[in-house]
Amino acid sequence: MFKESNRSHGLESFIAPESEQNSQAQIKVSIQSNVAHINLRGKIKHRPFLEHMETVLDQKLPVKPNTTNFENHSIFWLGPDEWLILCPLSEATKLVKDLQGSGGSMHAAVNDVSGGQIALRLDGNHVRDVLAKGCTLDLHPSVFGQGMCAQSNLAKANVLISMGHEPHAFDLIVRRSFSDYLLHWLKVAAAEYTTEWSES
Amino acid sequence: MLLIKCPWCGARAETEFSYGGEADIKRPEAPDKLSDKEWADYLFMRKNPRGTHRELWNHSQGCRRWFGAERNTVTYQIADIFTLSEDSG
Amino acid sequence: MQPNRLKTGGRINRSKPLNFFFNGKAFKGYEGDTLASALLANDVKLVGRSFKLRRPRGIVGSGAEEPNSIMQVDKGAMAQPNVRATQVLLHDGLIAKSTRGWPSLRFDIGFMLDVFSSIFSAGFYYKTFMHPRPFWKYYERFIRKSAGFGKAPEHSDPETYEHRNAHCDVLVAGGGPAGLMAALTAASSGARVLLADDQTEFGGSLLNTATHVNSKPGSEWVRQTVSALSKLDNVTLLNRSTVFGYHDHNFLTIVQESDDHVRQREWRVRAKQVILSQGAFERPLVFCNNDRPGIMQASAVSTYINRYAVCPGERAIIFTNNDSAYQTALDLKRAGATVAAVVDSRKKGGGSYAAAVEQAGIPLLYGHLITNVSGQNHITKAHIAKWDGDNDAIIENSIKIPCDLIAMSGGWSAAVHLHSQAGGQNQWDHNLCSFVPGAISQQTISAGAGNGKWALEDCLQDGHDAGMSAAKRCGLQPIASEQLPAVSEIHTTPIEPLWRVPATVDPDRCPKQFLDFQNDTCVSDIRLAVREGYRNVEHVKRYTALGFGTDQGKLGNINGMAVLAETLGKPLEDVGTTTFRPPYTPVSFGACAGESVGSLYDPVRKTAMHDLHRSAGAKFENVGQWHRPWYFPKRGESLDAAVARECLKTRQSVGILDASTLGKIDVQGPDAVKFLERIYTHNVGNMSVGRCAYGIMLGEDGMVMDDGVMARIDDQHFYLTTTTGGAAAVLSWLELWLQTEWPELDVFLTSVTDHYSTIAVSGPNSMKLIEKIGCDIPLTSDQFPFMSIRNAHLNRIPVQLFRVSFSGELAFEINIDSNYAAGMWEVLIDAGQEFDITPYGTEAMHVLRAEKGFIIVGQDTDGSVTPVDLRMNWMLSKDKDFIGKRSLSRPDSLRDDRKQLVGLLSNDGKTVLLEGAQLVEDPAASIPIPMCGHVSSSYMSSCLGHPIALALVAGGHSRIGQSLYASSGEKSFVPVTITNPIFYDKKNELQNV
Repeated sequence: MFKESNRSHGLESFIAPESEQNSQAQIKVSIQSNVAHINLRGKIKHRPFLEHMETVLDQKLPVKPNTTNFENHSIFWLGPDEWLILCPLSEATKLVKDLQGSGGSMHAAVNDVSGGQIALRLDGNHVRDVLAKGCTLDLHPSVFGQGMCAQSNLAKANVLISMGHEPHAFDLIVRRSFSDYLLHWLKVAAAEYTTEWSES
Repeated sequence: MLLIKCPWCGARAETEFSYGGEADIKRPEAPDKLSDKEWADYLFMRKNPRGTHRELWNHSQGCRRWFGAERNTVTYQIADIFTLSEDSG
Repeated sequence: MQPNRLKTGGRINRSKPLNFFFNGKAFKGYEGDTLASALLANDVKLVGRSFKLRRPRGIVGSGAEEPNSIMQVDKGAMAQPNVRATQVLLHDGLIAKSTRGWPSLRFDIGFMLDVFSSIFSAGFYYKTFMHPRPFWKYYERFIRKSAGFGKAPEHSDPETYEHRNAHCDVLVAGGGPAGLMAALTAASSGARVLLADDQTEFGGSLLNTATHVNSKPGSEWVRQTVSALSKLDNVTLLNRSTVFGYHDHNFLTIVQESDDHVRQREWRVRAKQVILSQGAFERPLVFCNNDRPGIMQASAVSTYINRYAVCPGERAIIFTNNDSAYQTALDLKRAGATVAAVVDSRKKGGGSYAAAVEQAGIPLLYGHLITNVSGQNHITKAHIAKWDGDNDAIIENSIKIPCDLIAMSGGWSAAVHLHSQAGGQNQWDHNLCSFVPGAISQQTISAGAGNGKWALEDCLQDGHDAGMSAAKRCGLQPIASEQLPAVSEIHTTPIEPLWRVPATVDPDRCPKQFLDFQNDTCVSDIRLAVREGYRNVEHVKRYTALGFGTDQGKLGNINGMAVLAETLGKPLEDVGTTTFRPPYTPVSFGACAGESVGSLYDPVRKTAMHDLHRSAGAKFENVGQWHRPWYFPKRGESLDAAVARECLKTRQSVGILDASTLGKIDVQGPDAVKFLERIYTHNVGNMSVGRCAYGIMLGEDGMVMDDGVMARIDDQHFYLTTTTGGAAAVLSWLELWLQTEWPELDVFLTSVTDHYSTIAVSGPNSMKLIEKIGCDIPLTSDQFPFMSIRNAHLNRIPVQLFRVSFSGELAFEINIDSNYAAGMWEVLIDAGQEFDITPYGTEAMHVLRAEKGFIIVGQDTDGSVTPVDLRMNWMLSKDKDFIGKRSLSRPDSLRDDRKQLVGLLSNDGKTVLLEGAQLVEDPAASIPIPMCGHVSSSYMSSCLGHPIALALVAGGHSRIGQSLYASSGEKSFVPVTITNPIFYDKKNELQNV
């Protein structure tokens, strides 16, 4: 009777049409729209919590501050009792249900926050230079390397910055309502470089 | 701009934090048993020292944890950072 | 034709001539020139007029200390006001204008001020123009114009600026011999080193003097060192970069003049260790008419000769109290000028430089002073007298020697600015006649001339040692130099202080002896200030304007303080310095703002439906950082007409509102009830699963802090909304209680503000609309009563559906994953066509809620309003404690004249009151009229056909029916009647349908 409610991250206007993509660009920005974001809270001292979560996830929770674990899903340390889990969109509903387990005795909170966050990947030799224009973190490779993550500010937006396994690729996660601002800022900050904006 | 060492995330710029005022102010167990003056002391009176000040900070742009700092209000040097309960991590 | 340009030497590029204009006249200079060196090369003597007395002024210095050559550079949007010609790099086509000298430099209307200068003494402005006070605005216009500040650019700046955050182990501020040595040494440890220098080229004094290093010109050692540093990956070299601020915890700010894609870049550096090596400033000598064009710092004269191949005079006299100016005599001689004499205030001298001067055949006059000069727009003669060292003597019997240049040196002051900004103490060194850096609590090491090491050999050693210490303090292993660069051994005679030359007549009546050139502060002004009772250096500074200018007293402050000390009869160290604050030199607003200009000035937060609202023609308003639809005008519709229509349509059929900006918090855990009971005033435990409640939270002071809807999703699972503006603060405040006061509670708070978009559908047809798009749960009140929550699917999309109402109508709020929100909004709009669905904005939302007497926290409350003041006593549980409860029984909370929330109606039924208007009982009362409250919300209610208002009125609850007057602009009042604040559907029946 009515059209399907289309899924949309609202940033379509930033993405260049296929014909204008520039694979030689110095900086490649891609919006990662096919991932679900799951927020997990719980106390690691509470053994049943840890056992349950690690069984469901089939990997360890990164308990060391500012670290990640990408063995199965991408898991980011957010705080001493808080993590972010990224998983394929199609697996999200089941994963949330499994993580929530059988009810209240778990001393945990699991929230699907996919609607509230935008994930971006920035790739290129000059990404550090661009980020340094708006981020007070020390992003020198000797300090902030692969497998690390940190919540901080980029320009005037709160972001989770992390590095996966590629040497020049940074992942950013920003609150949805700030994403339009942040992408505008990135456009300005990266203006001295050639850029490619895409979605994956 | 201060450099504040979050007990969890490490040293970060002051812009990631928000200030929470004097530390060590315990909420009275039974407020209704207190005189108006005692309640007002809890509510309003602060030490505001020149020198060492124990105060609360929140890593609001980071891990969202509250913690304490012992900061010199003259030199702004932070001598100590402390967590607020053993359960907080 | 550049008459003062030397044929050879200097660091200018003679193959790149550049054209420029000064005050409308065309000149030529070379690449590598500063505007100042190019002006001097062209023999331009007069560059401006002084601030107060309008006296003619020439270039005095060669760097940041320059007080006189303050220029307006370039035109239109590119104009830069108030820059120092000594720090402007010449470019082709540059247009410069004196900022002072109106209507023209040669004939200055303000010159009369000098003629009557005796009335323009210290405190003149305070004494003359401050009374009568209301006249200041007229005085100011005149003073500003004749003071000749530069003009702000006329259009917005077309250039871009950027910020750059950086981290390093060692930041070296100043790239002279000490700084280069320090950087080289620190870098040998592998430390991340950042070296910043304000000049185009590194090297500092080594490029300004004829000094040799390793038996070669100093510039050769500079070239080798910079080349070595630039090859290191761990070293960042920033030239044309002034470290202008040293803030807490080794955070420093640098402004870089840039040639690349931005005009300027502000570096924001966090350094583990800082080495301050900015050198020293040469002090002027204080004699009568010492401000005349042609009188310069000796070191500046040397700099112009050695660095820019410009000899600023043909017949020079050196006036000094120390040995360094002897080098200038030799430089001048080498440049082909006549040096008529070296006038030295000391009784005797001797040493390496004195020997060289004598060998060059330059007359050396020990125990002599320059007391005065002849010439107005340019000096023609120096008046020289013998002196026996008596400060109180009246000097007579001057001989007059013709000259066109006086190179003066009153000794050197270490540049302790950054050290002082960092909180460091300064101590007075009697031997050096300078403040030198003392104790400091930050991780800072001063080195070189900035640390009181005047001799090159000592500078290099000090820089080396500082580099070693800094690297070691970082936990690194620097490599010590086996041998420092070799410089020839220099013997000198110590400086003897000469803070002011004794006057030719009475010191208060003799021709002016200038201390601060830019602000025309003279010896007599300091003496007057003391006579009038000023003692503290900070007060004297403000009374006499000493050190107030763009140069911030870099040239004149120490002399001024010494004269103050002498007048007070105190040692200089007891008088102390004024406070040094950032910026070290003026910084443009563009550099401070960086990228945060225009649409990036502040983040604009957008909801998932933002673009749809824009397409629908919405006008937006800022709510915090959010941009929210304010109203949705149809073609040609005014705000009032649109809001009236939106309200009526909503109450008659159905309206739709984007309420996504509400703060949303997910609360889970076994102790959720226990926690929320302590936070909210109502009985949380009594709520059954699936029910909602309106909740308020108080500060511990009992005042309403925030409000919202609370929903019980499960036994241990709640969902809260907060006000749009309070979202972040409330979450942080809840975490504060949880983490500090009640860590034993097992509760987790998660923000879901951005995850859920909220669509409010209000009006009698709202239920039909929800049913129409396909809802998988029953919506009737018996199954889904008012104030409940259900999980449901709308149009097959999972949502949280709330039966709540902020309009008083039958209404639903839909919480939906933001990725699907825009789609859902479109579906609702399409389906709603048959009901004439009306999107409404924040303005209509405010009207609808005010008609119902619903408050907005922050509009109808202001942090001083208790729930009792709002007549929310029914929400205050008697069975439990909660935050703020105890404060409600404080005597102040029980006063019966507290401001309380009431409704107001204009007696004429037409006038919409002004929000914020004060309420009075008797408008005829004498001024100040006692006030008894204010209007907090006021709107035209289209549904009721008359205006309505909410107000906070002293003792208002017991004054229903009484009359008051609301101010409605200047001296006019509107009679109003106090009413109950619920104007529409007083029995609250509609929302329960």
